[in-house]
Amino acid sequence: MKLNFTRVCCPSNFSTFIKPSLCTNLHRPLCSSSLSSSHTSLKPQIPLFLRPPMHSATVSDLQKWHDWAKCLASSVGTTFLDSDNGPDSSLLCRELKWLVEDTIEDHSVLSQMSIENGKRSVRLRAGVEDLYNMWKQRIEERKPFQYIVGCEHWRDLVLSVQEGVLIPRPETELIVDLVADVVSENEDLREGLWADLGTGSGALAVGIGRILGSRGMVIATDLNPIALSVAAFNLQRYGLQDIIELRQGSWFEPLKDVEGNIAGIVSNPPYIPSDNISGLQAEVCRHEPKLALDGGLTGMDYLFHLCNGAASMLKPGGLFIFETNGEQQCKCLIKYLESDLRGSFCNVDIVSDFAGIQRFLIGFRQQQT
Amino acid sequence: MTDQELMRQCEMDTFKASGPGGQHRNKRESAVRLKHLPTGLIAQAVEDRSQHMNRASALARLRTLLALNVRSSVDLEAYSPPPELLRILPPKSTVRPSDTGPQIGPNNPKYLLGMQALLDVVFAVEGSVAEAAKFLGLSTGALSRLILANDSLRMAVNELRTSKGMKPLK
Repeated sequence: MKLNFTRVCCPSNFSTFIKPSLCTNLHRPLCSSSLSSSHTSLKPQIPLFLRPPMHSATVSDLQKWHDWAKCLASSVGTTFLDSDNGPDSSLLCRELKWLVEDTIEDHSVLSQMSIENGKRSVRLRAGVEDLYNMWKQRIEERKPFQYIVGCEHWRDLVLSVQEGVLIPRPETELIVDLVADVVSENEDLREGLWADLGTGSGALAVGIGRILGSRGMVIATDLNPIALSVAAFNLQRYGLQDIIELRQGSWFEPLKDVEGNIAGIVSNPPYIPSDNISGLQAEVCRHEPKLALDGGLTGMDYLFHLCNGAASMLKPGGLFIFETNGEQQCKCLIKYLESDLRGSFCNVDIVSDFAGIQRFLIGFRQQQT
Repeated sequence: MTDQELMRQCEMDTFKASGPGGQHRNKRESAVRLKHLPTGLIAQAVEDRSQHMNRASALARLRTLLALNVRSSVDLEAYSPPPELLRILPPKSTVRPSDTGPQIGPNNPKYLLGMQALLDVVFAVEGSVAEAAKFLGLSTGALSRLILANDSLRMAVNELRTSKGMKPLK
């Protein structure tokens, strides 16, 4: 395997220990999706930081691994950034720090790593061999950091994620704030039934579930059973089993029984135009599920579908919030709402994300007169 | 001012060169740097793995900076301490109405507004704790203790006193 890497760490000449495959990957970004073997089993993987510290290693072995990993990260420089807007060395070193945090049971060890402590044993949530594998995968295969540690920090939550599930994006955090704003002035919506369509890891469902509290209800749907098992893990960890119900199926299909009664619909549907996917950062196009990213030719297939569905599924005065690719998609959707779905919605608005991109479409189902 | 209103007055530095973002991107640059445009004050947070948490921390730090740096002028002739200031004063203050409620400390979110109003008074009397104490119905010692109990407050007062050639409070 990988024990070659431990012998040398020469800051001046990294090309000798980056495997040739790494170099070819840099020049020919591949974008086939890779499915891990866990695809066939529905038991969700436990995030690293929650695993029992059953492994151990000496401080010096851990230090050796850490030095190797740091060298490897530094050797990347800006190559990923230049090739596909991937992470640079400083970001990778930060991820390495987080990997160590999630792995070591006793964080005070980190400040004590020195030659005198070399033989001292530390307890780990993953073995040193696993650590070599993980970091190798990170750098050589561009496997997303979040899949390696099995979690993502999002809003004030830590969510389990794994291959087959989209890693929740920081932009999407804002949807929870928008929901909080609306329900703070609207008891009727706060106590209603909400839907998170295409829930993935369950991020939005958990986020809005915590806002709604005990009087609201959330139904979270997804086509992918892996996603549902991960969402189930996440909602249970946050004690929301009584508030969030999971249903498998496509968009509104599993919600036919509540048609016309839904207080709010939130969704982060796939919105990337199919042709753009192969040009994305390798972490995304090689490893994250296409099902969660590919929105068809214009990227808007599902957004249109959601608008159509919202018109019949929302109760009068009900709210929808959809995340999009940006200004063009939002404007296009507004035109669509004003033409094909004329009269169905009111108070439709576009909300920008923190980068100033017009990312969210928000609107209300017209009250019946 | 709510967090949202305050955010609207800020520019968030981290995000300038992000490209399309959203589903396109998986780069966890969770560090947040906020520049408050009206005052030019900058606050940042890098410790957390979640951008949301860093944003909250940066905003909290910005509020502290605003309280420490933004001054309102005070009419000493007709001075009456505002409610937010009364709340941070100890009960023995002679200007503190009995219905003010318990004294709040630095961990209370409303403390900053009180601290800001206190600094307005201290600046108006050019750093004299004895003078400020009179306006607040406290002995010089009691006001001194209040100021020394909070690091940011102490530093701001001492910076002023040093600039006026006075000895820092200890």
